[in-house]
Formats: sequence, structure tokens, C-alpha cells
Amino acid sequence: MRLLMLLPEHYEFFCPVKINSGNRALEQIPFELDALNARKPLVIARKDASERGLVDVIMDAFKDSGIAIGIFDGVPAAPDLKLVRELFNIYRDRGYDAVIAVGGGSVADTAKVLNIAVSGKPEDIEGCAGEDQIKNPLKPLIIVPTLSGTGYEMSRYAFFDGRSYASHFLMPHLAVIDPRMTIQEDAVTTAATALAALAHAVEAYTGSGKNPLADAYAYTAIQLIMEHLVNVIRDQRDRNGRLSLANAHAMAGCAFSNVAPGVAHKLGKVMGDECHLPPGLCMGMLLPHILEKQMSEGGYYISDLLLPLAGFDAYASMAENLRARRAVDTLYDLLKDLSVASGGAIPRTLKDARVSQDILQDIAQRAVGNGASFDMDGCMKVLRNAWEVR
Amino acid sequence: MDMPGYYEFCCRVKIISGHDALEKIPDTLAQLNAGRPMIVTDKGVVGAGLIDIVVNAISNGVNIRAIADDVPPDSDLRIVNSLARLYHEKGCDSLIAIGGGSVMDTAKGINIIVSEKADNLMKFSGANALKRALRPLIAIPTTAGTGSEVTLVAVIKDHEKHLKMAFVSNFLLPDASIVDSRMTLTLPPAITAATGMDALSHAVEAYTCLAKNPLSDAHALAAIRLISDNLLKVTVNPGDKKGRLGMSSAATLAGIAFGNSMVGMVHTLGHSVGSVCGVPHGVCMAILLPYGLEYNMHKNGHLTAELLLPMAGAEVYAATPKEERAEKVIALIRLMNQDLHEATGGRHARFLKEALDRDGKEMVPKEKLPDIAETALRDGSIFYNPEDLDYNDFRMVLEAAWEGVPLKANPMTSGMP
Amino acid sequence: MKNFREVAAEKKSLKRDYVAIMMWFMGRAIQAAAAVDRAVKKEFVELPDGFTFALSVMPSGPHMIVGKDQMRFVRYRGWDPEGKRIDLKMKIKNIEAAMLIFTFQESTTLATARDRLIVDGEVAHACAVVRILDIVEVYLLPKIIAKLAVKRYPAWSFRRKYLGRVLTYVRTIFGF
Repeated sequence: MRLLMLLPEHYEFFCPVKINSGNRALEQIPFELDALNARKPLVIARKDASERGLVDVIMDAFKDSGIAIGIFDGVPAAPDLKLVRELFNIYRDRGYDAVIAVGGGSVADTAKVLNIAVSGKPEDIEGCAGEDQIKNPLKPLIIVPTLSGTGYEMSRYAFFDGRSYASHFLMPHLAVIDPRMTIQEDAVTTAATALAALAHAVEAYTGSGKNPLADAYAYTAIQLIMEHLVNVIRDQRDRNGRLSLANAHAMAGCAFSNVAPGVAHKLGKVMGDECHLPPGLCMGMLLPHILEKQMSEGGYYISDLLLPLAGFDAYASMAENLRARRAVDTLYDLLKDLSVASGGAIPRTLKDARVSQDILQDIAQRAVGNGASFDMDGCMKVLRNAWEVR
Repeated sequence: MDMPGYYEFCCRVKIISGHDALEKIPDTLAQLNAGRPMIVTDKGVVGAGLIDIVVNAISNGVNIRAIADDVPPDSDLRIVNSLARLYHEKGCDSLIAIGGGSVMDTAKGINIIVSEKADNLMKFSGANALKRALRPLIAIPTTAGTGSEVTLVAVIKDHEKHLKMAFVSNFLLPDASIVDSRMTLTLPPAITAATGMDALSHAVEAYTCLAKNPLSDAHALAAIRLISDNLLKVTVNPGDKKGRLGMSSAATLAGIAFGNSMVGMVHTLGHSVGSVCGVPHGVCMAILLPYGLEYNMHKNGHLTAELLLPMAGAEVYAATPKEERAEKVIALIRLMNQDLHEATGGRHARFLKEALDRDGKEMVPKEKLPDIAETALRDGSIFYNPEDLDYNDFRMVLEAAWEGVPLKANPMTSGMP
Repeated sequence: MKNFREVAAEKKSLKRDYVAIMMWFMGRAIQAAAAVDRAVKKEFVELPDGFTFALSVMPSGPHMIVGKDQMRFVRYRGWDPEGKRIDLKMKIKNIEAAMLIFTFQESTTLATARDRLIVDGEVAHACAVVRILDIVEVYLLPKIIAKLAVKRYPAWSFRRKYLGRVLTYVRTIFGF
């Protein structure tokens, strides 16, 4: 009996991000700038990007293009509005007309907030915080991710100086994923960012707000992560693997921007904050337990999840009523494999990650307060199960 | 999955889907700072009562300044120019395109003229000639479909100078595409079948040709799954709202897939049959699709094999040995054509010989095949096909597609495989 | 200002020179093949009188221009597009993409599929030019490389392949 694809009937989807990925992708940027009617980009980055040679790669890519670029590589780990003002002044005084952000996290957030300022004025920034407060398109923004980003860079969200911003106008016009930039990171960082992307993609694929368009991005992200993450942890020199992971992050960010954030996201974020752990790691550890609970309540799309998780042959040869179970088990196996491949550096359980049991209640409370779709009981069940897995 | 050495992917269109998606148009236009649209459509759409449905759904929220319904089945420069003048006369600030491929292309052409205040459309032809956003354009497809509501190409013909102008730019993309089941509910079975197979050919070629990438693949697979589930159902039962929405989503997904990964020989030949003999595009696609897969088998058979999963489901995929899957896919497509042929009372043609016009006359006489093969040599979609075709190869495929016989294995007429 | 600097645009001279030389060679080889090979001759005959196409690297060259003169002979018309009427422009987006093509890491086909170049002009003409380039590549390159450059390596007669190759090379080097 063929399982018919249940189509969510009412949905909206928007992804304005263009993705350029692969060999010599950076060299296409001048052409893309021209297509966006821009001629003078300002590149912003953190100091360590310069130190690792990434800024030099960008400079090299612009040779022969006839374009002069500005480079600011002093973005700190916790930037503030004062920095944005400084950058705004540079942008305006020297006549830049586009921003290129190199890296993830704070650099991308800075770039998004800077883009609000340069598309209007700096005083506009604070008024644009919150949900959908930006009314007009912003100036050209290009993001060049490294593996330290989770895909948030491509999303409609920015978190800057204590405030949240959410608007599709914040999404970059172009994401340039070049293997020269997706350099090796340590095992924990690689896993944390990939697990964040995986959790977002899985929740987009199985949660409320699910739709066929977001599914295409989520599906591809899940497939890429499952095919490459463990390999990259085993051998960081796997260039193609790292490129694939960076692709997955970007796609997860796009999917995530079109659905409501799920329980793994909310719990993981709070836990990361309370326990000083990378949020992605927390999301990854919680994910299979969350799906387990949803499965017991009849979560429909989990069996379909087996397709991107395990591939065509494994999916097709598994009996229909066993697929959801296999999907969740695949995620447990992933955590196990990551732990083994990293010699224990990547934790499998909350206990391994040294999360104290006393703090679980707080985490649950905060997550519920933030709108997680499980209630206190539900959250506590997940947290306790994830604390020690036998 | 193979990560290509390099790829690009983009789809900047907002997709709004549902059984009452039309009602979202006023808000969408308001967010784009517009509210005085001109509706561009054709007489067929008007005749089906669709314009009335749209007007009823949106007239509370916007000020419809003009309704232009004289778009011909083939986009025409004169109409583009005259409608651009109408747009100005009526003080419009945005466009709503309601129809199929030709309406979409015409609207895109009008948008270039009114946004750039151009007197000559030619100036903007080619790739990347546009440098900034155009006026707001909302697309409402009424077939499922060409996918042109999500592609960045427009083709406008200048019938006086016998020129075909192609425009390629991200700025041509509509701001939003409204996928509403009411728009395809009354689509007659033969057109449902033809446009549905058009969407299938887009998805299949995007998945199996040279510019494929992981993201467009995912769109293509989802499209194929939806079409396999829904096309026959809505041909037999046109009022199936869920099925109609499924087909419309499939057409959007397929449009995004091929808009990013291009198409191959099925379109090369299909365009040529269309241009020499006037056969509707979807009909050409349906007939030629299995032949394209057969011809390319030695180069991309392994990819064709993967399509068995979305087309036939897990049980059939698992039960079919790996080496046989590609052939099974081709057989299933032929079976689909057969089923559609029966469901449309014989109007859906299974091979070129069977393509008849309204008066029952044969549209593709055998003597025209050499002409068609010649024309195919000039079509650019061949760039993305995994295998080359010269004149003799085109002839051979056309002859088989004319009779309705499968191609033999290793069919190329020359060269080393 | 601390942490800020501006970097002016430079040129990649070595790579530009390499591509320029390859294009010079290619242009003359097309001229030679048009005299030596039946299929190339036929393609050109079917193109309009005076038809000229250019292969260029954005933003500022190098370029290769080939066209039919008044006597309908196919001529390599140099590296400067200034003042010439060009019917078909094939523009490679940047010098690195041109390097990928001219070091045979990406064939014309693959480069097109990977969005490395854009075509301005009639598509039908572009199809003819690509077929011409394919044949010229088979003449110029050893089979092991040419097989990567073209979709289908042709099964030519010994005479066409080897005599043709010699003649093409001789004509290319001596420019007639």
C-alpha cells in the first residue's frame, strides 16, 4: 500500500538567499555584486579569520576584478552598537554599497544589523528589533560562511547586543560557500554546528509549519549531514565533507526561517545558555528523545524522516510501520558514532556533557516560558531521558 | 550524493499556497508598497471564470485599474508594448499575471518596459541586462504546469522581425506566486494531463542532466512524488481539490528544480516539435520523456534508477533489482501516458503519430521529421544533456517517438560512447 | 582607523598572459580547422555572412575574436574587440573560471553547466560555435584530454584525425 504524501495545504514560503557553492566560488562575487548593482563592498571579519589566512583568500579572489575592497577584521566576539556606528561611518564616508561578512555567529549578526543602519540610518536599528519590524529591502549583503557557523547566518534571525531581530529582509542576498573558507575546526565545534543544523532541519521536516518547499531545503541538509559529519570528525582533512557540511548549514538556515522553531531549538538554546555549552550540541543530544516522545503521540512525519537520514535503499527496504523507530535509532547511533570518532570529546548524554541534574527544572521552565510546544512534564521527560542513556 | 564541483541555486519567489491563497494578495501587494494592479491574462482564463474568482477575492483590498485579456497563446512583442501603454494610461503600480506560460512571459516583458521606462525591449535582452528590481509582480498560475511563475526567464517573440528574444535575470522573478486550488479546478482533462506531464519532464530532466545539484534534486524528487500520486487522480476527477493543490505544488517544485538545473534533450526535441508543428508543449514533453531517458541511459541510467522511489513507492523500489530500476521508470512513464490516454478519451497522445488538432487532423506528418531534427540542432537546452545528438540521432529518436516504439539499447548513430 | 584597510584592485598578470596565449592559439586553430575540416566548414557556411563571435574574460579581457570576412573565409581577428561588430559574445565570468577552462579542468560543457560563462546573442549560433569548438578541441588535444572536454569523442577515420591534426597544427602555427 503506497503511503500518500500528506500535503500541508496552507503554507507560505520565502527564501531570497542565492547559494553559490564550490570550487572558486569566491571569484564569482564580483559578477554577483554587479548583478546586485553594487561596486564597492566592505568586508567584515573577526581577527582570527585574518590570522587563519581567510581574508587573504578573499583579497586574492578580487584580483583582476577591477574592484577595490575595504576590509575590517576587528569584529569582537560580543559586538555592540558602538561598533556598528563605527562601521556605518566607514561605509558611508568611503562610499561602500555592499557588505560581505566572512564567518559565522557574531560577524553575520553584525553584518545584518549594520545593513539595517546603512539602508536607512543608525537610529533605525533599535526600532527594527523584534518580529517583522523592517519594512523595506536592505542593501546588498553577502555572507561567506566558515564551519563555525550553524546556518543562522542565512536565516531571518539576528541576535545582537541583547536584542533579537527577525525579518526576511535580514537574509543575505547571497551565500558563498567556498572550500578554501570551510577550513578545519576542532571536533566539538564541527559537531556542535552540524547538530544545530541537523536539529533545525529535522524539526522543519517534522514539525508545524512543515511545507514542501522548506522540506526540500531540510531534506538536503539532513542528507548531507548524515553522509558527511562522522567522516569529517574522523578525518578533518576531508575537504568535500566540510564543503558539504557548510552547504547543509546554509540550507538548514533557510528551512528554519520558514517554520516555527521547535522544541529541540528552544530547549537546546536555553540549555546552552544555562550550562555554557554550544547550543547545537544540546539540541543534538535532545533531538532523538524529543522525536521519541512525538512518536509515541503519533508523530506522522517521523517515518518519512528515514529517507534523508538513511538513504533510498535503507528506507525502501524497511517495513512502513518500522520506519519511525529506525529513524529515531539512527539519531541515537549518530551520537554514539560521534562520541567514538572524537575519542569521547563529543558528549552523547547530558551527563557526559556535565550538565547537573539540578538545573534541568530551570531549563524546562525557561523553555516553556519561551513558547516550547511541550509542557513542563513533556520537557522534563525529555531532559531526564537525555541525561543518561543506557 | 555527489556534491557538484560548483553549483548555484536561487529561488526568490514567495510561495503562498492554500485553498484560499488568493485572499492574501492585497496584503502581499501592500507589503510591496503597491495597490493599483493591472491584471494580465488571456481569454481562456476569463472564459473559465477564473478572473471573476480572483476579482471577488481581492477587490476589497486593492484597486484593480485594468484587466487585459488579449494575451495570445504565444507571447508577442506587440501585445507587450500595447499593454505597457495601458498600464501607464490607467496609472497602475503593479502587475498580476493570471494564466500559463505565455501570460507569465508577457507580464514579465511588460514589467521590464514599465519599470525601466524603456521604449525598446530588445535593449534588455540576454542575460543580466537588468540591474535593479522591477515593479511588483504577482503570479497566479492556472495550469500545473509550466513552472514559469518561478523561473527567471522570459521569451518574447517579435513576429514582425521573426526574432525570439530571451530575457534572463533574477529581477524577472515574480515577487510572489499564488498556488490556489480554485485556479486549476476547472482545467479540462486533456490539458491537465499535458501540463502535468510537462511538470514531470521538468523534474525528471532537472534530476538527470548535467547541471543538477543537491537542492534542486530535492525539489525534483518531491515534485515527482506528488505528480505520481495526483496526476491521474485529478485527470479522472477534476474536482479533487486536494489533488489539484498537490499538482500545483508539484509544478512549483518542478519549476524551481529546472529553473536552477536546466533541462535536456526532451526539451530540445519538444521545443522543435512545438515550433515546427504547433503541438502544445506539454503533449511533446509527455511523448518524448521516455525517449530522452532511453537515449541517455548509458550516461545517466543510474540517476533514472533513483527516480523509481518517488514514482512507484518504497515497496516497488525495494522489490526491483538495481539493474532494472531505470527501465522500470521508463516503463512507468509510458504506462502513465497510457492511463492518461484512456482517462482523456484518447485525447492525450502517446506518440507523435497520435497527436491530433481540434479537427482531428494529424499534427506531425512523417515528412516533417527532418525539419524538426534540423530545428533541434539550434536549441540551447542540448548543452545540459549528458550525451550529444547530431542530426541523425535526432532523426532516429523522432522516428521512434513517431511510431511509438522504444529505442534499442546504445542508440547513438556515431562516435564512441 | 584601526583594523580597517582598503585594498586596491590588482591584476593577475601571469594568469592573464596564459589565457591570452591559449586564446590566440585557439583562435588561429579555429581558422585552420575551418580550412581543413568538412564539418567545421559546414557549420560556418550556415552562419550568416560576416558572422563574428568573441570569447572574452570579464571584466577586461583577454579576448578572442573569430569571424567570417567578406570573402567568406574564417579569420582569427585578434584580441581587441574595439570597433568590431560582434554578433555572439561568450563571456567567461572571471579569470579563475577561464583558467579552469584553459587548463582543461572544466570542459566548455561543464563550465556552462556550472554557470561559469554567459552567452549574449542568438542561442542557435551559440550551439554552432560550441560544436565548432568541440571539433577543434579534438584536433588540438590528445585523446585522453579531449575525451574529458567533449561529450562524445568522435570515431573519425585515421586520415581525418591524424592528417587533419597535422594540417591544423601547421596552419595554426603559421597562421594561414
